[in-house]
Amino acid sequence: MSHFVNMEVFSNYQKYIDNEQEIRENIRIVVREIEHLAKDATIQLQIIHSDLSKINSACSLARQQIEACAEKYKKLADLVPPGQYYRYSDHWTYITQRLIFLSALVIYLEAGFLVTRETAAEMLGLKIKHSDGFHLDIEDYLLGILLLASELSRFATNSVTMGDYERPLHISHFIGDLNTGFRLLNMKNDGLRKRFDALKYDVKKIEEVVYDVSIRGLSNPPESKDQQKAEPVE
Amino acid sequence: MPKSQPYRNNNNAPRKRQLQLDEQNPVVQAFRNYASELDGKHDRHERILKLSRDITIESKRIIFFLHSIDSRKQNKSKVLEEAKHRLNKLIEVNFRAIAQELREQDVYQFRAAYSPGLQEFIEAYTYMEYLSSEEKDGEDSKLISSWSDLQSIMQYADDSKKSEEDAADSADPIGCKFQFFVDPTEYILGVSDLTGELMRRCINSLGSGDTETCMETCKALQQFYTGYISLNCQRARELWRKITTMRQSMLKAENVCYNVKVRGGEAAKCANFDHKPAEDADEGFSMY
Repeated sequence: MSHFVNMEVFSNYQKYIDNEQEIRENIRIVVREIEHLAKDATIQLQIIHSDLSKINSACSLARQQIEACAEKYKKLADLVPPGQYYRYSDHWTYITQRLIFLSALVIYLEAGFLVTRETAAEMLGLKIKHSDGFHLDIEDYLLGILLLASELSRFATNSVTMGDYERPLHISHFIGDLNTGFRLLNMKNDGLRKRFDALKYDVKKIEEVVYDVSIRGLSNPPESKDQQKAEPVE
Repeated sequence: MPKSQPYRNNNNAPRKRQLQLDEQNPVVQAFRNYASELDGKHDRHERILKLSRDITIESKRIIFFLHSIDSRKQNKSKVLEEAKHRLNKLIEVNFRAIAQELREQDVYQFRAAYSPGLQEFIEAYTYMEYLSSEEKDGEDSKLISSWSDLQSIMQYADDSKKSEEDAADSADPIGCKFQFFVDPTEYILGVSDLTGELMRRCINSLGSGDTETCMETCKALQQFYTGYISLNCQRARELWRKITTMRQSMLKAENVCYNVKVRGGEAAKCANFDHKPAEDADEGFSMY
């Protein structure tokens, strides 16, 4: 009687989602490989919290893992049909943020400045603009950088423990810049904003360390003390 | 606190600080770029959301309007005509605007912004189609449009060449052709809402004594339900929820049909009774 319902629609849709499932499964495999590499790099970088002399070697080891990730990202880029990055991006956003964090940490430890999005993308073999292909989403980059802030607040504490009193001052400066930068962003009420709200605790933690160090006269360069006075970033 | 409060606070904070900002600082420079990029993304999202909301509202109105079809009033073809016209207007104006926003973009990135409007539109559109398929029942009555059918009517051409929209992004070489991407998943979700309307039509028809329509809509509902439960998909919570609702609608419609069958005679009498006031309004003019 009813000639309206077209059962073909359902079988076509089944084909459509089967196809999507298959792509997702392949993506998941590659993402798992990336996760392994990222975990290795994370473990290698843990040494910075207990042995300052091993920082350089830890960085170069971590770099190797990150480079290996770039290979995997290439594989991932081939799996994702062009123009459908955001259809599947939920699989890799988390791990990309972790990797941005790791790259940013390595760059900070090696050179002392904030990795730009361009460099970070290049390290992972990603493009910057979505129109160029498989790219680094700006929010993933920013979220990764916020992860860096937490790690550095921990690092500041531990470097004092290990007797390096100058480092917290530098970290404080660095995080101050970062905080200023993030304040330039107009944020929506989303994940980035939530994570950004936690940045102030990292800032606070580092300032407490700097305060402890300077009030006891443990760090001597007078110049950095001046900076620190001008620094209150709350 | 209203949600927008923190947003605004955040907006003001940097402005105060801008005076003392070190513009030479590479971090500041980089973040200025990030800020404008984020703003662009959020703005586009907002614009699409607005367009989508308009589509939702108009689609809901069209559906409501389509429910005013009543076998007693004989207004069907007129209502369908107008609904068709309004739906076409949505395609020509609102969807075109969204398509324009999504040009050269990853359509999936802004899916959350347009998905409610698209689903509601599909519901309205397919309901209109269902009602028109009732009309020419029997012969080559039309099937429901598939997503590729809808896709083929959401093709647009750029008539105002190099208009101000082009300035926003990309001077694409092909330039003049674009489309609104109809996502099959959104389509399936939209059609699943259609079953709610079918249930309503089934019950309304009982009220107006049109028992044949009751039976027909119920049959269509059952077919849809069969189609939907035949789908085998993981990670589709939204679809699952809709199928549960659909089951409820189907049960209601089946119940109606049961009642029609069991107390058929009484219902018909009832319907006749129902008929009278409308006729009376004609001053008894057209009493057979």
